Amino acid sequence: MIKTSTTSLAELLAHIPKIVLFGVAALVQVALLTLMIIDRIQVLRDGTEVTLQTRPVDPRDLLRGDYVVLGYDISRLPAGSLLNQPTGTRNPMVFVKLAPNRDGLYEAVSVHADAVAVASPDVLIRGRVVSGATCGSRGRAFCDQLQVRYNLESYFVPEGEGRKLEQARNQRKLTVVAAILPSGRAAIKRLLVDGEPIYEEPWF
Amino acid sequence: MITPAALATIRVALPPLGPGIKIPVVVAIVGGLLIAAAFLAFVAAHWTELARLARLAILLAGIVGAHGLGAWFGRAGRPVLADLCTAVGSIIFGAGIALVGQMYHLGGDFAGGMLLWTMGALAAAALTGSRGALAVALVAASIWSSMRVVEIRDVPHFSFVAIWLIATGLALAWNSRVAAHLVALAALPWWIATALAVGLEPPFVLDDGAALLFGAGLALAAAPWQRASSAGAVLSIYGAFSLAGVATLEVATANDLFRIHTGAVSQPLWAISCGVAGAIFAFAVAATTRRAGAAFAGIAIGLVLLAAAVSTPPQAGEPWLAYAFELCAMLCLVVSGMLDSARPRIVAGWLGIAGVIAAITWAVKGSLLHRSMFLAVAGAVAIALSLVLNRLLPRTRE
Repeated sequence: MIKTSTTSLAELLAHIPKIVLFGVAALVQVALLTLMIIDRIQVLRDGTEVTLQTRPVDPRDLLRGDYVVLGYDISRLPAGSLLNQPTGTRNPMVFVKLAPNRDGLYEAVSVHADAVAVASPDVLIRGRVVSGATCGSRGRAFCDQLQVRYNLESYFVPEGEGRKLEQARNQRKLTVVAAILPSGRAAIKRLLVDGEPIYEEPWF
Repeated sequence: MITPAALATIRVALPPLGPGIKIPVVVAIVGGLLIAAAFLAFVAAHWTELARLARLAILLAGIVGAHGLGAWFGRAGRPVLADLCTAVGSIIFGAGIALVGQMYHLGGDFAGGMLLWTMGALAAAALTGSRGALAVALVAASIWSSMRVVEIRDVPHFSFVAIWLIATGLALAWNSRVAAHLVALAALPWWIATALAVGLEPPFVLDDGAALLFGAGLALAAAPWQRASSAGAVLSIYGAFSLAGVATLEVATANDLFRIHTGAVSQPLWAISCGVAGAIFAFAVAATTRRAGAAFAGIAIGLVLLAAAVSTPPQAGEPWLAYAFELCAMLCLVVSGMLDSARPRIVAGWLGIAGVIAAITWAVKGSLLHRSMFLAVAGAVAIALSLVLNRLLPRTRE
């Protein structure tokens, strides 16, 4: 069967003009890049805006090259009802329920292994546990504290501009407005220092 | 002496040589690379000054331009240059992914970007028959797989195997030795990343990987289908060298403290199954083709696996039996290569023997005197065996 299918594939491609094959190859690659962009635009356009407080990160993770590493108050949170529950993998996906506090900043309310229904203004954000899922006798249960990544932890800036963001972050003056889809996928939309926007993410 | 008539007959009988790569083509490739480097340096110098959309437009134009040029070379009967253009287009596609990742701050999912790069480059390779794009795809896939193993401990990362099988299918469809080399080479980082994953004993898992690579290569090489046979021969070369490498590694790390020494029994079932399957493949080839070379290859695989099984923890003293098994395995590898007239296998076997002896001598723990006695006994046994064989085997005229 393998012999037939590989031979017929080779024969099929040999009959198609070169220009078509190379054109489709270029089209596939351009389409993949376009899909990547459309996906991010969708998150930025349709996502619910939430403001997140950043916090200092490990000094070893300070500015690397031309991007700033961002840590959030919601990055480290108690496992709550997930404590000692089996994880399945070492780095499971989790859903964190966020609710606004009196200052309008969103804080983690609870963490769940699966998506749960939330009512506005609460939102659900999806993240991956990077630490805190290796407890229990077999090392496959949730610990009491979880370190979660939301794919919001890197912010690329023009060269030389990272230092001021890093200082603002360390002084807890930096907040991030993220767009979150109902599925929990998130993207950085805006950066604020002392409540004033300093970077606004265009769609393109 | 070949008479002119015989020469003419031979020339008629043999197919003409392929066009290959001519000197003007090589010069053109160098020229193209220099221009591409100059363009990249120019763009890099002004990269931060360019608007995001302008950067993206440059990369998209680069992709389209590279593939367009590839089509032109393809139509002009310049397959090497067409191949090169597709590879360059696929590399620019990777740069495009990096840029879009930067535009939308997607630094957290580097591995995801690598998977996307793999898909794009693999599609280009499949459509255009570009070995260069296949190489790009396999490099990106190896990085993706290794990162998945390191980041989320996805072990074994079977998703990579699916991509590897697609690449193997392309190598067979193209009947290309270069593609077969790329595919065989791509198997190595997967096994290394898997072996280094937490909780596994690296040399044991590598033993299993080398055994499967070698055994499966021999089985494919014995297939009646010429394309599979050619690809299998390449795979078996990498398998033989890998087997020699892991035999050396096994001995070199036998009494090191960093070895967990949980024993072969505690290794994952899938890994052990791979090793056993490798040995079964080799013996099956020996049984079906009646070739003693394949049988010796099977014995070599079996002995390397056995050496891992009998390996003892450092506190239990020197693993003499494992040393002996590894030496015998490498000897069988040399014999297998000689019987099958497979020179790379012979070289692999000799390198393995040299590596195992060096590793036994190099070990810093245990008694050097004991190891020298072991080597002397092993040497004496080998010479005795040689004398016996010399009497038993029919003599060939010098």
